Amino acid sequence: MSLLTRVAGGLAALVRPKRGEQELDAELRDFLERAVERKLRAGFTPDEALRAARLELGSAGAVKDRVRDVGWEAAVESVWRDIVYAFRGLRRSPGFTAVAVLTLAVGIGANTAIYSLVNALMLRSLPVRQPDELVEMLFKYPGDPRMNSYPWKHYQRYREQNHVFADLIAMSRGRLQVAGSAVEPEVVDGVYVSATFFDALGLKPAIGRLIGPQEDQIGSDRAAVAVISWSYWQSRFNLDPAVLGTSLVVNDVPVTVVGVTPRGFFGLLLGMNPPLWMPVAMEPLTQKPSRLADGSLSVGMVARLKPGVTIAQARTEMRTLDQARLVELESRSRDVQWRGATIDVEPAGAGLSVLRDRFAATLLLMMSAVGVLLFVACINVASMLLARGAARRREMAVRVALGAGRLRIVRQVLIESLVLSTVGGLSGIALAYVGAHALVAIIASGRSPVGMPQPLEIPVHLDLHVLLFAAGAAVGTGLLFGFAPAWNAFVAAPSSSLREIGSAAGKTGWRRFGRGLVIAQVALSVILLSAAAMFTRHLTDLRTVGLGFQSDSVLQLRLDGSRSTYAPAQLGALNRQLLDRMASIPGVRSASLAGMTPISGAAGSQFINVQGFAEKPDDRRRVTLNVVAPRYFETLGTPLISGRDFVFEDEGRPRVAIVNQAMVRYYFGTSSPLGRQFTFEGQSQPLEIVGVVGDAKYHDLHETPPRTVYMNAFQGSRGASAIFVLRTDVPPKSVATAARRAAGEVLPTAPVTTITTLAEQVDASILPERLIAMLSALFGVLAALLVAIGLYGLLAYTVSRRISEIGIRIAFGATSRDVTWMVLRSALGSVSTGLLIGVPIALRAKSYASNVLTIVASTQAKAPITLPVDTTVPLVVSAIAMLAVALIASYVPVRRAIAVDPIVALRVD
Amino acid sequence: MSESGARRDVSPSGLVQGTLHMLILRTLDLEPMHGYGIGARLEQISKGVFQVNAGSLFPALRRLERDGLIAGAWRVTENNRRAKYYALTARGRTQLKRETRDWEVQTTAIARILKASLGEL
Repeated sequence: MSLLTRVAGGLAALVRPKRGEQELDAELRDFLERAVERKLRAGFTPDEALRAARLELGSAGAVKDRVRDVGWEAAVESVWRDIVYAFRGLRRSPGFTAVAVLTLAVGIGANTAIYSLVNALMLRSLPVRQPDELVEMLFKYPGDPRMNSYPWKHYQRYREQNHVFADLIAMSRGRLQVAGSAVEPEVVDGVYVSATFFDALGLKPAIGRLIGPQEDQIGSDRAAVAVISWSYWQSRFNLDPAVLGTSLVVNDVPVTVVGVTPRGFFGLLLGMNPPLWMPVAMEPLTQKPSRLADGSLSVGMVARLKPGVTIAQARTEMRTLDQARLVELESRSRDVQWRGATIDVEPAGAGLSVLRDRFAATLLLMMSAVGVLLFVACINVASMLLARGAARRREMAVRVALGAGRLRIVRQVLIESLVLSTVGGLSGIALAYVGAHALVAIIASGRSPVGMPQPLEIPVHLDLHVLLFAAGAAVGTGLLFGFAPAWNAFVAAPSSSLREIGSAAGKTGWRRFGRGLVIAQVALSVILLSAAAMFTRHLTDLRTVGLGFQSDSVLQLRLDGSRSTYAPAQLGALNRQLLDRMASIPGVRSASLAGMTPISGAAGSQFINVQGFAEKPDDRRRVTLNVVAPRYFETLGTPLISGRDFVFEDEGRPRVAIVNQAMVRYYFGTSSPLGRQFTFEGQSQPLEIVGVVGDAKYHDLHETPPRTVYMNAFQGSRGASAIFVLRTDVPPKSVATAARRAAGEVLPTAPVTTITTLAEQVDASILPERLIAMLSALFGVLAALLVAIGLYGLLAYTVSRRISEIGIRIAFGATSRDVTWMVLRSALGSVSTGLLIGVPIALRAKSYASNVLTIVASTQAKAPITLPVDTTVPLVVSAIAMLAVALIASYVPVRRAIAVDPIVALRVD
Repeated sequence: MSESGARRDVSPSGLVQGTLHMLILRTLDLEPMHGYGIGARLEQISKGVFQVNAGSLFPALRRLERDGLIAGAWRVTENNRRAKYYALTARGRTQLKRETRDWEVQTTAIARILKASLGEL
C-alpha cells in the first residue's frame, strides 16, 4: 500500500511542483521562527538568536535538496534533464548527429525489416481461436518437398475414424470465374471449405454469417452460398453492408453472399488471401466434371487437437490411418517409392508451412548477416562517441569539480547514447517499413512454390512484435556502443585535471582503443564481403553452369487454348502458320513451340519400356516429358548430338521421339539409340528414337538433368495451349508486341496470357539465392562504407593530434611522400591486422554458407547437386576491397597532413 | 549544555535512518506536532543525546508522509501563525508497534550478549 501512496505523492509533486516548494519554504520559515523564539526565551539577544537559529537550521537550500531527493520524482526529473541536455548536445553538433543517426538507422532498420519478414512467415500466429492447438498433415514422397494434399474420400475417412482431433477440416482451392451486378467479371483463386471449417477455427464474421454445418448437403442448392474476404469486401464493395444477400455468379452458378470474414484473416496458407470462400458441397455445381463426386478432390487438411493429445500421438494415429491411401497409390501407379512416403503432423498455428519451408533458411541467414552489420554500426558510433568524449574532457572536469558524482556522469553519458539510439531506432523503423515492403515485392516476383497462386500476398506489417523488436534493438545498441564512452567517463572523471586537457599530446590510450575498434570493424566487414562474394558467385554459377540451354535472349508467349474451338486438324496448320509468322518478325532468329519450357515449375513424366532393356523394379524411374515443335532445340540452344531434329513432315507418320544423353546413358549405355523403339507404360504404340540432344535442366536448377524424352508437337492430338519460344538477336521484349499481334491474328480464340523471357523464368525459380546474394552484397557494401567512415574518423583524429609532430618532421626535412607514408602506414596497418583476423573466420564461415545454400536448394529439388562454393576468389576480392577502402579513407587526412605548415603547427599548443 | 552522555549531532551516518523514523513515530504517538517541535521533543526526552538537525528531520518527515505513516495538515496556531502539524495514521501506529517490538527484541539480545560472562560465550 505504501507503494501506492508513494506513487501518488510523486505524481502530485510532478504535476504541481510549485505547491510543494512553497509548503516546504513555509515549513522551514516556521522552523526558523520557532528556533528564534526558543533562543530568545533562553536569554539570547534578537541578533544572536537569529544567528544561532540559522546555524541550527543549516543551509535551507541543502535541506530543501535533501527533502526533494526523498521522492522518486526527483530521479525522474533528473533523468529528464539529462535527456534534454543530451538533445541539446546533439543539436549543437549536427554533422556528428546526422552520421551517427544515419548509421544506426541503417543498422536497426535492416534488422527490423528482416525481422518483420521472419515474424510474418515464421512466428506470427494466425488470427484464429487458440492457434497453438492447430496442426496440419504433411506427407513426403521421397525426394519431393512436403505437401498437404489428400483425396476427399480419404479426408472423410480420417475425420470419422480418428480419435485424436477435436475436428478435422479441409479446404480445396479452385480458379473461379466471378461475375455479378457489382463486380467486373474476373478470375479469382477461391477456396472450397468443409462445413465445420470456420467453426473449428473459432472465427466470427465481420458482418453476416460464415459457412456452417447447414451447408453440408452435397450438390444441393442450399449450399449455393459464399463468404467473401474482408479485403475483397473493401476493394470491390467499398465496405457496403448491403453486400449481404446479393448474388454473385461463380462459374455460371448464382451464389448468395452471406457474410464477410473478419479483417486480418487471410486463410491458413501464408501468401494467399482468398477473396471467396464456398462450401465444398457446392463443388459439383461449379466444377464440371466434379471431383467431389468420386472422392478424388484434392484437399488440404488441418486439425485441432483434442485437449491433452500430443502431436506425437496424433502422428502415430495418422500414420496408421494413412496406410490405406499409400497402399492404393502404390498399386495404382506401380511406383514402389510410395512405400517410403511418410505422413507428418506439424503445428500449424503460424500458418501452413509451404512458404516457411522455402524461406526459413534464407531469412535466418539474413538475420545473422544483418546482425553483424548492426554490430559494425555500433562500433562506428562508439568510436565516434569516444572521439567526441575526448573533446569534452574539459566539460567533464568542470562538472566533477562542481560536485557531480562519477555515477551521475556515467548515467548522463549513457542517457546520451540511449537518446542517440532511440532517434536512430525511430528512423530505422521508417527505413524498415520501406525495406520490408521492397523485400515482399521482390519475393512476390519469384516463382510461387508448387500449388500457390501468383503473385504471393505476404501480410507484412510493422505490428507490435516488430516494434518491440526495434525498440529492443535500439536500447541494446544504445547500451552496447554507450558502454565504451561511459566507461571512459567513469575512469577519466575523477583524475581529470583542467590543465592537462589543453595539451595537444592527448592520450594514446584512446588512439589504441580506436585502432582496435577499426580492426574489429575490418574483420567483420571482410566476413560480410567475402560471404557476399561467395553468394554472388554461387548465383552466377547456378544461372550459367550446366544449364544445357541458353537462357538469354529467348522470349516466351504462353497461349491459353482452354476455351478455343479449333479442331485438331486445323490446329496443326495454324500453329505452323503462326511459327512462320513469328520467325519472320525482324530480330527473331528462330521460333518454335513447346508444351513447357525449362525451370517453369511445370512437369510431365511417365514410365517407359525400352525394347531389349531389362530393368530392375527398384530402379524404375519415370522419364520427364516434353512436347516440342521443330527447331525447339535450336531456339533454346540445346545441342543436337546425333540423329535429326523433328520436322513438320513427321505429321501423320509413325510417332518419333528425341531423347537426351542421360536417357541414352541409362537405357543404351554406349551404343547408339537411333532407330531403337520404346513404349509408354500402358500404351502399345511404339515410338522410334530419331535424335539425341544434350542434357538440359528441367524442373529446377538444383537438379541434374533428368532422363528426358521429347515428342513432336505435330504428331498426335493436343490442345491449343502452348508456349511459343523465340530466340532473338535484339532484346527479347522488343519483339513482344509484334509477336502478340501475330498470335492474335492467327489464333484469336487462344489468347496470349503471359509474355516472359526465359531468363526471367529461370530467375524466378531461384529467388532465395537471389535474395541472399542481393542482400549480402548490400550489407557487405554498407559494412565497407562504415569501415571507411570509421577509419577516416580515426585517421583524422590521429592527424589532428599529431600536428606538432608532423610540423617538426617537415621542418626537419620530411617530404610529402614521407608524411603520406606515415599516415598511410597507420591505415594500412589497421586494415591488415583486421584482415589477418577476419580471413580465417571467413574461411570457417564458408561451411556455414554452404550449409544454408544446400538447405535452400533442397526445398526445391530432390537430391540437389552441390555446386562447389569457392572461397579463394571471394576472399581475395574482399581483401582488395578493404585495402581500397583504406586508401580512400586516408585521402583527406593525408592531404591535411601534407598541408601542415611547420611554423603554424609548432605555435599551436 | 551537555548532560550525561556525549551530545551527538545526528546525521544519517550517525543514527540509522530507520531508527530516526521510529523515534519520530513515537513522538507523534504522544501528540501531533510540527517539525520543530518534534526535534525539540526528541532532544528533550533523550536528555540531549539526540539532536536532530533540520537536514535529517525534514527528509525523514517527507519519507514518512510519502509512505502513508504520518499525515500532515496545516493548522493555525495560537499566535495566528500557520504551521504544518503531523499526526500518526492508523498504518503508522501499526508500524510503530511492530518496530518497537523488533527493537526491544534486538536490544534485549544485544544486552544479553554484552553481559555474558566468559563461560556463557
